[in-house]
Amino acid sequence: MTDSRPANPLEMIAYVLSKEIEDGEIVYIGTGLPMVAGILAKKTHAPNITLVYESGAQNPIQGDMPWSVGGPATWRKSPLILEMSYSFGQLYNGYVDKAFLGYAQIDMYGNVNTHMIGGDFHNYKNRLTGSGGNNDLSSLARHLILVGLQNPQKFVKNLDFMTSVGFLTGGDSRQKAGLVGGGPMAVITSAGVYDFEPVSKRMRIQSLHPGVSPELAQLATGFELLKPEGQIPVTPIPTSDIIEILRREVDPRGVFTSMPS
Amino acid sequence: MGKFAYNKEVLANLRIDEKETHLLDRLIDYESARAAHEKKNHAAVDKRISIQEAIAEYVKPGDIMTDTGFAYVRTPITAYLEILRQGIKGLQNIGSPATNQSWMSNFGAVTHSHWSYCGAEMRGTDRNMSRNVKKGLTKVMSEWSHGSMAQGFKAAQLGLPGVYSKQLLGSDLLKYNPFVKVVDNPMKAEKDPCVFIPALYPDVTIIHVHQADMYGNCRIYGPVINDAALAAAARKVIITAEEIVPASAMRNDTKNVVIPFQYVDAVVEMPYGALFGSMPGCYYWPRRLWEKTLRYWAYKEGAIEEFYDLFVVQCKDQFDIIDKVLGGSKWMADAKRLTKAEEYDNEDIGVDFHYTEWTMNDPNPDDLSA
Repeated sequence: MTDSRPANPLEMIAYVLSKEIEDGEIVYIGTGLPMVAGILAKKTHAPNITLVYESGAQNPIQGDMPWSVGGPATWRKSPLILEMSYSFGQLYNGYVDKAFLGYAQIDMYGNVNTHMIGGDFHNYKNRLTGSGGNNDLSSLARHLILVGLQNPQKFVKNLDFMTSVGFLTGGDSRQKAGLVGGGPMAVITSAGVYDFEPVSKRMRIQSLHPGVSPELAQLATGFELLKPEGQIPVTPIPTSDIIEILRREVDPRGVFTSMPS
Repeated sequence: MGKFAYNKEVLANLRIDEKETHLLDRLIDYESARAAHEKKNHAAVDKRISIQEAIAEYVKPGDIMTDTGFAYVRTPITAYLEILRQGIKGLQNIGSPATNQSWMSNFGAVTHSHWSYCGAEMRGTDRNMSRNVKKGLTKVMSEWSHGSMAQGFKAAQLGLPGVYSKQLLGSDLLKYNPFVKVVDNPMKAEKDPCVFIPALYPDVTIIHVHQADMYGNCRIYGPVINDAALAAAARKVIITAEEIVPASAMRNDTKNVVIPFQYVDAVVEMPYGALFGSMPGCYYWPRRLWEKTLRYWAYKEGAIEEFYDLFVVQCKDQFDIIDKVLGGSKWMADAKRLTKAEEYDNEDIGVDFHYTEWTMNDPNPDDLSA
């Protein structure tokens, strides 16, 4: 029987993220929703993409939803698997078109914290995972897309730790620091899609998901969001066909797209 | 004055005293690493010993030891458990990722951490490690990203003093890593900041492989991660292997042979040596076990003692883990079926990957077989 429920917030994020991928691209995939989005894109509008993972796995044939970025689904019948240092080398050398990453905190310039929450380096509330590949992808990616939930604890004025650099302090500060690549091109959240104003490099509303007003998006944000000229577009929602593919073929066990109870 | 010029501001940020900098030195001391490599017996001899002998002989208090594989994929976890059983203390841990330093830091085995990632992705953040660092059970000595640490290991394998990298620039990682320095690319006419990453030489690495011959030539199936580089870099190398094959097998089929014998000090036959992690081609994760680890043993303060009692005291080896924790021979068959189906070496139509995630209100909290 067809499941006719509309997309839940996580499914919506996965869908919007998948739409950022164009056919033929090489996409570097972090754990969680980026895996869902990459596989959804491959099964819908972008069948000729290549998925790359930080474990060095790349280009698997389609199969089960990966339980881990190091698991067999990420290298299922891959022609080859790269060592970790070579895998990240592809980003610097220009072979990766887009990179998808998560965050624990993000600021108005797209800088990211995955290290610790509250207090300082020695006296924090919680220490998190640390960088993993987060800093590498942020430092090197041609186009970086950040994905996660949006609330004032996550969209913060000041990061508790800067694991990864987006646009640093705005303007041309990213380039001056010596980083390569274009920095973040979009942030996709439970509330909307954000880009970065070209000169100041401050986060700007690109579109908001249905039912989300600019006031609500601002309430969920610890810094001032810039607004685009004119009417704010509404993010297109997935068709029932796409939701069906997502639920039936991409993440049938709801590993990453079922809402926590 | 010490041998190396660490950034004093970074040492202060990390609260590393001038008297403690000798703890950092060996990781980048290529001269002593080279001397250790020169001193090894370079002849191809039978290096097979037991895991008890290998750990006692080659893992010494204070050593800089690696976490290898990929956190819970092809990682020599049962060898790490043996380190706990032997009561070896004061290790520094480095690895990219380095997830298993968490439970090793509760019992004094790991007291210093070179950090790039500690956790298990979406299973939850590791509250145990968060508490341990805050309490000082282990001290963070350097902060890295996966890629920059991998470059340090690779530089050692390539036989280079270090590499220029474009990672880490502008981030807070630079303020908490005494080993890296921002320098200008000397070939660019205009200012071009880079990060110099020195070659990294751990004292001891333990690597779990699919096949080894008795001399130490090794075959790895699936992701190699940093292990070929670590085998070349480390002063001491212990191989644990699912199987020991004749040396002629490596000559007849060179596919996936990634570690040459001369790096290797000890070869240990150790089927199921990656438990309680997974082994490509051989066995899938005990997924509920990992969920229970992150959501209970690591999450609840004090519960790590139960973890220790189960895996270090009650289980004497990997076979005990299979028999006492995972449910015995049925788990072995299921775990083999799941990994081979996901790899598509076996038919996957009809193979059911469904299982019930472990939760705090789990009706069967001790059932870790799926």
